[in-house]
Parts: sequence; structure tokens; C-alpha cells
Amino acid sequence: MSEPFEPKIVAFVCTYCTYAGADLAGTSRLKYAPNVRIVRLPCTGRISPMFILKALQKGADGVLISGCHPGDCHFTHGNYHARRRWMVFRALLDFTGISPERVKFSWISAAEGGKFADLINSVTEEIRNLGPFDQYQQLIKETESPATL
Amino acid sequence: MITQEKYRTTVKELLASGSVKMVIGYKPGSTPDRRRPLFIRTSEEADQLVLDSTCMTNLSGYLVTEGLLSDEKRVGIFLRPEGIRSINILAAEYQLNIEQIVILGFDSTGRDVRPLEGRNAGDFSGLLSEIKEKPVQTSKEPLLERIEKMNAQERFDFWQEEFSRCIKCYACRQACPMCYCRRCIVDSNQPQWINTSSHTLGNFEWNIVRAFHLSGRCVQCGNCDRACPVNIPLRLINQRMATEVLDGFDHFAGLSPTQEPVLASFKKDDTETFIL
Repeated sequence: MSEPFEPKIVAFVCTYCTYAGADLAGTSRLKYAPNVRIVRLPCTGRISPMFILKALQKGADGVLISGCHPGDCHFTHGNYHARRRWMVFRALLDFTGISPERVKFSWISAAEGGKFADLINSVTEEIRNLGPFDQYQQLIKETESPATL
Repeated sequence: MITQEKYRTTVKELLASGSVKMVIGYKPGSTPDRRRPLFIRTSEEADQLVLDSTCMTNLSGYLVTEGLLSDEKRVGIFLRPEGIRSINILAAEYQLNIEQIVILGFDSTGRDVRPLEGRNAGDFSGLLSEIKEKPVQTSKEPLLERIEKMNAQERFDFWQEEFSRCIKCYACRQACPMCYCRRCIVDSNQPQWINTSSHTLGNFEWNIVRAFHLSGRCVQCGNCDRACPVNIPLRLINQRMATEVLDGFDHFAGLSPTQEPVLASFKKDDTETFIL
């Protein structure tokens, strides 16, 4: 009997909004899926597309990227820059065959602990339905560098 | 032929008057349909100049050669409209001073070569906006259309198949006028973002990263495509990205030397339909 599939999801979040939102979810004792590994960064503007590729390279089944709502950025416009970058990068992933359903973007403020918990649950559920990212994991296997997630 | 003769004379005049220190053009290559870059410093060298429809290479990458423009003297260069766009981008990214470039513009339809009016980047702004409005290539490439009709799985398989041939020679990078970084991201190993050995995963990552770095900057000169020894259709990715920034942000790369790079600027009302 094989164990049921539990997706590995990497979340890149900005420290001022989404990380604080995750904190709020925690302090409010909200339950959410344990499948997510959170990486805290200073700003969504700091999230290079390389991070997304690296997460996939290390065997993630899905990636979540989240930060402050437009207009709320601690650095005034980091998330505006990030938004453009994501739009282009998302199109690129789509064109090269990585389903955009595996890479999710969202805005979650420090006050939205509930939204954070809901989002993690729904993203986990969606990726669980998509199944493991076999195509990519096959490529990782070829490189003989085992996933370390 | 007439254009070629006219331009040989122009080059000689430019060099004789001392207004440029060098002209970058084309000379015959190893086969009749190949051309090689020619760096003209004397009027004898100008006699080797060839200009015909097979002069495809975008020469603008040579302008960012270290030290070439640091003496503040001017350099002449033969450019197609795409080449003019790429020097506009290089100027917008502060890689060169556009005042130092004397453009010897040309374009071709079929086998006919015709000169383009103007010597300074500003003289071509009308022509470039015309190209933005009315792309020369009106119909999409059949292969691009085929890829867009595929589902994610098929597209993934298609590109893996293409990229599995990649030998990581980085010819695409060397040929590209936009790849001027002193230290490319694949050359850095702390951290190592991209697998450097040439297995498919590393090849895939390399090509994705290159396409991302070129989105909103690529002018589709086709240098990478021609340079690729294993014929990966790199132009398709770049073309797709160019359409993306044109549709999404109305950005047509290289319209003017002062154009803001698309991924280094933003509008507060950029679309965000995909953000949860």
C-alpha cells in the first residue's frame, strides 16, 4: 500500500505582509495544511524568478508567492515591480509547458490570517488533485542530484 | 550592388573626415551565403565591404566590447531596423552613449538591399514606430501556432525534446547583443541557480532564464537562432515573450534610446487577473 500523495509546496512570502499574516493565522490558532514550506523574504520585489525555478528543481510540486497588496508595500513599490515580473514569467512558464496551476500568486496583508489559512488549504487541495509533478521529477532524477526538500 | 558601392564611398568619406574611428560592417565568409564581421579602419579595408541580403547578423553586440567606446570617439555600424532597436535598448540601459554611434542603416526585401535614411538613432524613430504598428511578419510562424494549441503536457514534452539537444555551448548568449553581463547568472556558483551540466533539466533552466532576461528586450534579430548549433527554435520563445509585453504593457523594445525597460518600470494599474 502506497501512502497517499502529499504535495510539497514552497511559499515565498514578504516579511511585512504575508509572513505577518501567517503569524496571525498561527496566533489565532487557525488550522491549515502542513504541506507548505515558507521562505521569508524582505519584499516581493526580492523574489527572483530563479527562486521559483530552484524550488521546482528541488522537487516542489507547487510554488506559492505572496506579498503585500498593491499600494501597501513597505518599500512603496516593490510589489508593483514584482507583479510585472510575475506576469511575464508566468507566461513564459506556460509557454514552456509548466502548468500555471502549479505556480500561484497572491496578495495577503498582515491582517488577513484567515485568508492565509484558506489559501494554503485551497492551494494544497488543488495541487493534490494535480498530483505530483512527475515530468519535472523525472528530469531531476536524470541529473542524479536527489531532491533535498 | 548600387547600395553596396554607395556605402563603400560613404564609409571612406566618414573615415577620411575623421568623424568616425571605425566602421563595423560585413565581409565575405567561408561560403557564398555567409558573411563575417568586418572592422574597417582604413579606406583600403572599406573595399572589402559587402552589403547584400545575406548580411543578416545583428552587429550591435560588438559596440559593447570593452574599451571600444571609452575614448569617446564615434563608431559607424551597419544595422538593420532590428539592429537599430537593439542599440536603442543598449543606450536605454546605459551600456553605450548613443551620440557615439553613426548608423549606416539598411534593409532588404528578397534579394534587394536598400539604404535607410538617417545617421543618428533619432532619425529612425518614425520607421521604428511604423514597424511596431505594422509588423513586417503579419502571419504567425506555423510552429508557434502549433505550440500555442498544445496543452501544458504536450508543450512540456515539445520543449524537453528540443532542449535535450542543447549542448550548453552558450553560443546563443555570445551571439546576443543583449547578453552583455560581465558575469552571467550561469557562471555564478554561489549559489548555483542553474544546473551547468548539459542534462535536460539544466538545459531547460538555462533557456528559461535566458528567455526571461530577454523578455521586453529581445528585438528578434535572430542571432541566437542562427548561432544555435543544434537548431533549437529559440526565436519562438523570444517572440512569444515579445508578444506578451506588447499585449500586456504596450511595450515594443527599442523604440527610442530613452525608453524605460519594461521590467524596470511599472504602472499602478497593470493587470493582475492571475493574482489570488
